[in-house]
Amino acid sequence: MADPRLKSIGDLLARQGILIAFAIFLVGFAVFSDRFLTPENLETVIRQAAIIGVMAIGVTVVVIGGNLDLSVGSMLSFSTVLVVDLHDKIGPELAIVVMLAATLVLGAINGFLVGVARLNSLIVTLGMLSAIQGLTLIYTGGKNVDILDQETTWFAIFGRGHILGIATPILMFLGLALFMHVVMAYTPFGRRVYAVGGNPTAAVFSGIRRSRLVFSTYLISAFTTGLAALILGSRVMGSQNNVGQGYELLVLAGVILGGTSLLGGSGNILKTVIGVLILGFIQNGLLLMGFPYYAQWLVTWVVIILAVWLDIAAKRGRLLSPIA
Amino acid sequence: MTLKLAAALVATTALIGASGVAQAETYKIGITQNNVGVDSYQTTYEKAFIAAADENENVEAVVLDAGGDVARQIAQIQDLIQQNVDAIIIWPTNGKAVVPAVRKAHQAGIPVIVTNSNIAEEGLQFIASFSGPDNITQGARSAELMCEGLDGKGKIVQISGQPGYTTAIERAKGFEDRLPEVCPDVELMETQPGDWNREKSQRVMESFLVKYDEIDGVYAGDDNMGVGALNAAKAAGRAGDIAFVGATNFAVGYEAMARGEYYGSIYQSPVDDAEAALKTALDVLAGKDVPALNYFDTPKITKANMDEFDKPVF
Repeated sequence: MADPRLKSIGDLLARQGILIAFAIFLVGFAVFSDRFLTPENLETVIRQAAIIGVMAIGVTVVVIGGNLDLSVGSMLSFSTVLVVDLHDKIGPELAIVVMLAATLVLGAINGFLVGVARLNSLIVTLGMLSAIQGLTLIYTGGKNVDILDQETTWFAIFGRGHILGIATPILMFLGLALFMHVVMAYTPFGRRVYAVGGNPTAAVFSGIRRSRLVFSTYLISAFTTGLAALILGSRVMGSQNNVGQGYELLVLAGVILGGTSLLGGSGNILKTVIGVLILGFIQNGLLLMGFPYYAQWLVTWVVIILAVWLDIAAKRGRLLSPIA
Repeated sequence: MTLKLAAALVATTALIGASGVAQAETYKIGITQNNVGVDSYQTTYEKAFIAAADENENVEAVVLDAGGDVARQIAQIQDLIQQNVDAIIIWPTNGKAVVPAVRKAHQAGIPVIVTNSNIAEEGLQFIASFSGPDNITQGARSAELMCEGLDGKGKIVQISGQPGYTTAIERAKGFEDRLPEVCPDVELMETQPGDWNREKSQRVMESFLVKYDEIDGVYAGDDNMGVGALNAAKAAGRAGDIAFVGATNFAVGYEAMARGEYYGSIYQSPVDDAEAALKTALDVLAGKDVPALNYFDTPKITKANMDEFDKPVF
């Protein structure tokens, strides 16, 4: 580490490692598949990544605040089932309102248990993952729900439509990312979330109301999950009870790939967007190259683990822990 | 069917009773299901099973659900052995892991009937019968449907079920083995899993559409995934050129078929499935000669004959 050039490479990796990895992947896939860098495919991938991406934006806020949210996958199932089922019963407008309200209630339960009751967020949200799955099954009795009139409902706009020539999911994903980036980087609220996640004790002594703040981060992740449910429900025009199963891990993977520390206090919304896109492009690229699914799992998760390792290694300046 | 069976059983019991042999009035039949509530098929299956058992006054059913958890299912089998039921019906959560528990039931002299998805080969010696659909035949019939839908020529992709799941493997195998026999000119270009998930299937199809300029047919492990693929093709404006075939008919597939967007599928009724399982158990208990693999029929369904079938409940 004495060599200054090495140090600067290390610095570069630490700060922009995720962008460099992203570029390497794009170039690699483009070399091996002539379909990869077509506008059609790029649009497809970003549109596909939007569901995970919108959720990841909310979860990034929770993680920066020093907590986890593993309940978003089953919350997505619940919210999608709810909005799709109510669409035909009370119309799309009311269905959306009811769904968002119900999703916020779930987020409030998370927020109360973690923020106010001060329970461990891993346990709470893991418990909520199963509890919400149970709730969904009780609601539907196991049946799939579908929207009958798929061709004329305006609900199609969220998952299938275009606004100003851009696919709506992409617009929602990137628009929300920009908005939350501004909130987190330039508002007092954002600063407080970083402060609470970085050093809760110091934050409380500086006059930040920790309980209320943590509570609101869970409302945000519930809200973004509700938005993701709009995209998913509209895209599929139906829902299974377990449609979001496993999404919590993909969401968390996107957040981690974006360099947000699981310990809280650091992270960046725009880098989460890159993290989510990397996941999307890896899966799409491997599929275009004709890799079997097990290779996709292997590569995806090896990349995630390497990214976490690289992130930690860059921060502490060495690959392995100095403590044996 | 059930009534006739009940009558036959009453007659048999009466005969045995007359001949003075001690005989329980009713059969106590325990069932441990895979994961009720996770999908409409399993939910409907349970309702149909309970209805069929209620209808038959000689049956006292103990209905359990493993909730997808193999450890819980093994515990449930042990409980049923303890309760000394007359027969155990099991819908395996995991075809391999339940084999020791099934062996225990066999050793305790309780006949085991496997329903819907079979257990691993090493366990077959311990079961009285398997009652369920023949996934291989379903796959093979889907291949024949695909062949008709394409007039024997074209390029297709396959979206299969959850990797490692017996139903997914067999539906793929039945299709892949049969296709070259009936249609040597139909080329299966690629297979990717859709994990029984419509959204995942839609994603896979979107990538296929980017990758291949010509896709004439899509074979999906069930209509739920098939409709996901149809969604993707419609969005890309290519649905009209593609024949969609599924290996199990779902309500969404039935509706798409009625609209002429979906070529064909295989009709598998959870009600038939549940009733066949109970009937198999009763036949075994009555000492009848029951085939080791007791399949119930799952016919082809296309727009031409769909009037003969009710819309699936799932």
